[in-house]
Amino acid sequence: MSYAVSARSFILPLLLIALWQVWGGFAPERSRVPVPVGVLAEAGAMITSGELPSALVESLGRVGLGFFSAGSVALLLGLIMGFARTVERNLDPIVETFRPIAPIALLPLAILWFGTGTPASVFVVGYAAFFPMIVNTIHGVKGVDRRMVQAAQTMGLSRSKILWAVVVPAALPAIFVGARLAMGSSWLSIVAAELAVGSRSGGGGTGGVGQMMFVFYAYEIRLEGIVVCMISVGVVALVIDRGLRWVQRWAMPWAREVGR
Amino acid sequence: MRKATVARMSERIAVPALAARSWPWLGRLLGSGAAVYVRSILGLLLVWHLAALSIGNHAILPTPWLVAQDLYRLLLNGEIFDAAGTSLWRLALSFVIAAVVGLPLGILMGLSRLADDLIDPVVELLRPISGIAWLPLALFIFGVGNELPIFIMTYVALFPILLNTLSGVRQTDPTLIRAAQTMGVGRWVVVRQVVLPAALPSVLVGMRLAGGACWSALVAAELVGAPSGLGFAIEWYRQLLMTPKVIAFIAVIALLGYLTDRGLRYLQRRLTPWATGIGDVP
Repeated sequence: MSYAVSARSFILPLLLIALWQVWGGFAPERSRVPVPVGVLAEAGAMITSGELPSALVESLGRVGLGFFSAGSVALLLGLIMGFARTVERNLDPIVETFRPIAPIALLPLAILWFGTGTPASVFVVGYAAFFPMIVNTIHGVKGVDRRMVQAAQTMGLSRSKILWAVVVPAALPAIFVGARLAMGSSWLSIVAAELAVGSRSGGGGTGGVGQMMFVFYAYEIRLEGIVVCMISVGVVALVIDRGLRWVQRWAMPWAREVGR
Repeated sequence: MRKATVARMSERIAVPALAARSWPWLGRLLGSGAAVYVRSILGLLLVWHLAALSIGNHAILPTPWLVAQDLYRLLLNGEIFDAAGTSLWRLALSFVIAAVVGLPLGILMGLSRLADDLIDPVVELLRPISGIAWLPLALFIFGVGNELPIFIMTYVALFPILLNTLSGVRQTDPTLIRAAQTMGVGRWVVVRQVVLPAALPSVLVGMRLAGGACWSALVAAELVGAPSGLGFAIEWYRQLLMTPKVIAFIAVIALLGYLTDRGLRYLQRRLTPWATGIGDVP
């Protein structure tokens, strides 16, 4: 039974890939149309030449930089806002004002401020990471059982001690969900940022996988390379998501059913 | 005499409290959410203004006042309405296409094990590839124009709609379906009368997520490959170094994104009032 199911699930993907290959064979200009076999060969070439790994590492480095700098600020601010009602009441309107702005919409401003290099992409990544992080942190801190806080107060703990020893551990699962969402949207926007920086700066050599895709599109017309990049962007997204889910299950086994 | 003066002085110091005591509505207004909001935003605008003054270069950071003036001008000459109309039209079209494809497919996959086994792997293979990653290839296929943003947005909106429809259909109480079947109702009627209403809350959550995803994809797609629309406008004015207009358009994008979300939330509350709280994970 389970064999039948697993065999069935391969039918449509394989069929589509085969169709794609056949269709590519009939296409008029054969060198331009990407076909699965060509994509595989291209992937092999790009990996062995180190082109793809270095571009991915560069993009991931930017994601890491933006994610950690904006994420730590968001974490701190979120803890304070979740903990102190006055601060939250006054800062929440500002957070909610900026939250609907799509990170990519800020890219033109980022280019104006930082030029077309790494800082512009890092800024966009940081912006994308900030909001999931802060919103989930506030949500997590506010969701902490009040009785636990009261118990700690009864036992005479100081405010900072309560924050550190009671609130943070209890809010950790929600914070981690925020980190996972932030990481996902960071990776999404780094590709967009590199792509748009590339297309708007005339392909300056800032590197990264998005930039590589743009160069393939605009200058080298390597469509198979573009498909390889698309697939690797997807694989990295999947690895980030699954990896962080796994870390969460491993590090916080008590929080199985938190968030999405 | 002296006592009276002191009393009056202390009254003068505590004017807000006094005002609140004399006119309760004023106190309510000052302490209300709206007042706090206005206060916070005014503080933000002040910080922005001071920052802009200290930088002293309007191409880098214009003052809020300059942005407001340009926003007014853009509203007056209709440029904002043109750009927003173009973008919203593309958004609506992609949304409809995604719903027309995603809803039936999700229902089919939810009801038929075979369809699920066949289609699900393709969905799971494509889903990690973000809409934005399709941009270069789509640029090659469609060129710069309407098709590119519509394709990207449809792709982006399809997954939330499809997957939430699927999970809504799957969560339908099987007892209800069996009850309907026992009463001899046909398959189509079961779908329409039982499964669809049961899945509706989840479907609407999917639509709201799709709306949000569409907005950010819209900006990216129009920035890179469209000759018109909001995303194009910010990039156009960036190249002209007309930063106040860039910020004005960013504000419009934010406002419309916010209103879209509010609208879909309203729809959610109106159509499925029994399902409040579902999907309201931040």
